[in-house]
Amino acid sequence: MKKLILLSLLCGSMLNAEPLLDTALPNLSFKLMDGEHTSLNELLKDGPVLVDFWATWCAPCKKEMIHLDKFHKKYEEYGFQVLCISTDSPKSMSKVKSYIRSKKFKFLVGLDPNQQVAQKMNALLLPTLLIINQKREMVWFHQGYLPGDEIEIEEQIRHALNIQDEISE
Amino acid sequence: MKKVILLLSLSMVFAQVSFTGNTETRIGENRSGFYYNETLINTHLQYGNFNNWLQFEFSDPPELGRSLNGMRKLRLEYDHGDLSLKLGDLYEIWGRGIVLNSIDDQPIDRDTGIRGLSISYNVHPFEVQFITGKAKFAQSSIYAPGFDNRVHNYITNHNLYGLDMTYMLGNHLIGTSFLQSKEDHADALSDTLNIKNQLISGRYSYNNTLYDFYIEYIMNRSFEFEEDNASYRDHEDGRAFYGNLNIYLDLFSINMEYINYQFGALDPLNRWDIVSNYGMFQPFQNPPIAMNIHENVLMNRISHQSDFNNEVGYKIEIMGMLRDWIDFFGLYSVSSRSTPWVLSSQDYSWQKEGEKSHLPISDLAATPFRDVYGELSFNLLDGNFHIKIGAGDSYDVTELTSHTKTDTSSAKYYMLTSGQTFPLNFSYSLENGWSVNAKIETQFLSKGFGRIETLNGSTVIDTFYSDFYNDINENGIPDNDEFLDFETNHFMSISIGKSPRWSATLTLDRTNISKTGIDDSHHLNPLEEFLGIDQTKNWVNIEIIYNVTTSMRLSLLYGSLKGGLICTNGVCRIIEPFDDGFKLGLTTVF
Repeated sequence: MKKLILLSLLCGSMLNAEPLLDTALPNLSFKLMDGEHTSLNELLKDGPVLVDFWATWCAPCKKEMIHLDKFHKKYEEYGFQVLCISTDSPKSMSKVKSYIRSKKFKFLVGLDPNQQVAQKMNALLLPTLLIINQKREMVWFHQGYLPGDEIEIEEQIRHALNIQDEISE
Repeated sequence: MKKVILLLSLSMVFAQVSFTGNTETRIGENRSGFYYNETLINTHLQYGNFNNWLQFEFSDPPELGRSLNGMRKLRLEYDHGDLSLKLGDLYEIWGRGIVLNSIDDQPIDRDTGIRGLSISYNVHPFEVQFITGKAKFAQSSIYAPGFDNRVHNYITNHNLYGLDMTYMLGNHLIGTSFLQSKEDHADALSDTLNIKNQLISGRYSYNNTLYDFYIEYIMNRSFEFEEDNASYRDHEDGRAFYGNLNIYLDLFSINMEYINYQFGALDPLNRWDIVSNYGMFQPFQNPPIAMNIHENVLMNRISHQSDFNNEVGYKIEIMGMLRDWIDFFGLYSVSSRSTPWVLSSQDYSWQKEGEKSHLPISDLAATPFRDVYGELSFNLLDGNFHIKIGAGDSYDVTELTSHTKTDTSSAKYYMLTSGQTFPLNFSYSLENGWSVNAKIETQFLSKGFGRIETLNGSTVIDTFYSDFYNDINENGIPDNDEFLDFETNHFMSISIGKSPRWSATLTLDRTNISKTGIDDSHHLNPLEEFLGIDQTKNWVNIEIIYNVTTSMRLSLLYGSLKGGLICTNGVCRIIEPFDDGFKLGLTTVF
């Protein structure tokens, strides 16, 4: 019986091709790198937010963050923000701020050392990306990073911002 | 009419309910009969201020741990502005996790969660959290009966409560914690001891744009219940200190960490015996380690194992950008026990030698560890071509087996692991979504048994017996002339991917040594046959990842894995050793 329940859950999730879209998230609160706290509602005041889960020991995450920083700067004027949430445990969390500062990244950085926020946002793998609109709805979800994914990421950001023009450098 | 009202009420309730979750299925089987089949399902139900997390496991058996078919975790949360309540399985961190850091690390099957109640009140600048509950900590120990690498064989039960408070004043933050656990501890004779552990800490941190620092001082005390007097008597008394300083300059940042963990010093023979020793470092503590978690595979395989009961060390990291397209990273970390150990000339019992040191000691009798690493990264062609080149040198005295001393002489016998590692990664991505990634890592590893003897201050014997040999003879033992000073390891992987849909990676893990006692009558699989390689010294696998949808990821691996932390196809995982078989993974998010 249990196997049947399991199988049906798996099949159900398989058949539902884009099940996450438009799922409203709770008003989660985040601890930022500078010690301050913020919430999803506060972050969404001016526009959509891209949330990225990463860690200092995750090489693909770091490659992806170079592009995320570019997008944060490029679309900031539209009210768009990138929030990169570090899932580093205390074993490596002292390095988070040094790494961000040394790379001169401008996006927001959150800390989630016990992965409570990651769990609520279903971030099973690193990196995991989500775009959340101002209604707190998840409009895009992506797991892992392959070089070239940044093209799709930018398209999704533009879609969330409702920008129709051609992509410019 | 009633039915309509009921339906309307239900629809109103469910309209406000948000339900999400994920599933993770992993199935594997290899030729040596190793098999696992496990599925984890997480569900999150949110209604207004309430949030419910349920985790189900269906395993028969899991890759690590015991089989379970049913609910594994449960938590109900209530958030109302400043107040937050949690009931169920709690995973909390206080400060940097030196007093409390309960984790569920499934890749290594380490679960230190607490089942109970947490009440948090957060009115800026003040935060307070009260926690109470029960915990069952399962660990693997060779000192307990029924040792099995795959399934835990030693369990302790704890009844805990504690309070954590922080106060933020501008850039300053002060905090204090108290945690007490009453533990049922089964000793080596299987008697259950009643132990009371107490931890008290104070912490302070400060941050500004140029620098920040964090310090924490922890005191631990434990008491053992005596049936005869029906009271607790003092058992252990320890101290710990942690410090972290970060400096941010224009060109680079410096990260420094210092640890001084002295929860209880155990002699070299007994320091890993968690059965006979108690009332010191607790499973719900998970503190910083003041050493680097390396991204490359081969350096991770020789990671130093911290002795949280007695470890003194520091780490200095420097990272920055030489140009917009060149990053650098440098690391130096050292640690040791707080004192050297020596065998008493009277009764051959272990004794501490000299006073406690608050800095790491290079004396072999203090089992020192050292890690030096440097790395340069180049981001070329508008970030499409990425090269990373590194060099690392690590030295770790893992065990001290004997240290005798007279007025004029001394003799030390120790186990050593040291290695020089050279990782090289590069990736190139084309504009149409195609990309190529390659990793080449080379390591010269020295591992074995050392002996050093001195007489009147001069070294008279300094020998090292390597664990490694090239080949074994027909009797299954190595010939004397086949011993090698170094094991040469190569890790190579090449992957081709098409963003955002799929990637395929071929990995070759290669060594130059043989090991006795390994059955080499195994089947040569088609992949190895095709590549024409010797399976006794190579681990080859091919993995394909396919993103079925943005929320569903399928992976299929065929071949053998040596194990360790491996990052392929854009995802990092700790992978257990696996010999010639299939692994299937499916993650879905709903």
